[in-house]
Amino acid sequence: MDVFEAIKDRRSVRKYKLERVPEDLVKKILEAAVWAPSGSNIQPWKFIVIKDKKVLNMVRKISPGYFGDAPLAILVCSDKKRAYNLGGELGRDYLTVADCAVAVQNMLLAAYTSGLGTCIVKSFSSTAIKHILEIPDGIEPELLVIVGYPDQSPKPPSRRPLEEITYLNKYGKKYFKK
Amino acid sequence: MGKEKNNGNKYLFDLAVFLATSARGCVEEPHLYGPFRLIDALSRLTELPKYATCIKEDPFLTEMKRVIDEKKFLVISDAEAFKTFLENLVREFAKELKRRSLERT
Repeated sequence: MDVFEAIKDRRSVRKYKLERVPEDLVKKILEAAVWAPSGSNIQPWKFIVIKDKKVLNMVRKISPGYFGDAPLAILVCSDKKRAYNLGGELGRDYLTVADCAVAVQNMLLAAYTSGLGTCIVKSFSSTAIKHILEIPDGIEPELLVIVGYPDQSPKPPSRRPLEEITYLNKYGKKYFKK
Repeated sequence: MGKEKNNGNKYLFDLAVFLATSARGCVEEPHLYGPFRLIDALSRLTELPKYATCIKEDPFLTEMKRVIDEKKFLVISDAEAFKTFLENLVREFAKELKRRSLERT
């Protein structure tokens, strides 16, 4: 599949089949994540693959933004100590978030091109998820990626037109003419 | 993921966890997520008769749950349509309130 096709056709899925995700695809999604660029190549990410039903159920319950019964979730965390040691305050406070987001987009595209649906969830309780998954201090949960075989085909939401948001050489001078 | 065995105590606790984590999330989340969590909680609350046998299933609330679950994600795609949906939902509740009130007198 062409990468642009994947970018445009991927949707956030909130209804999944119960079918499990094969291990080779889990590995493929994680490999896609770690090949994302990161500020100063710090690679601040850590991943927790959640497959155990009991653990998944606990995570779902403390995540008001988690919809559907997907058989897999991957919590993308940032290592704040590593980011600070290698990237200073900028690394710790800003780049970790940006880097994890870039890695997550790679994960979504790798999953989509493998026939899987995904949804990014940020609406979870950090305090609760750290307790449930025994995450140590210095490791911050950033984004939860829900993964499974989709049981819905959401329609594409609208996009702001390029004419409205793109400028040439200076802010305000339109790049695209209508 | 298979369905967990369900009972009233579990239902109540799960709803409580949802409300507590939602309350905390609403401190920083987009302001429309407050209404979103409330109607999602309402949808979950309509399942109460399954677990509390002293409460009969309410066909009106069951229908409202269907509508809520169908429309609630408008919050992500179309804020104005989400607000209109909430307006219409409240109108349906007002109509039903009036009908039930007049029925009693």
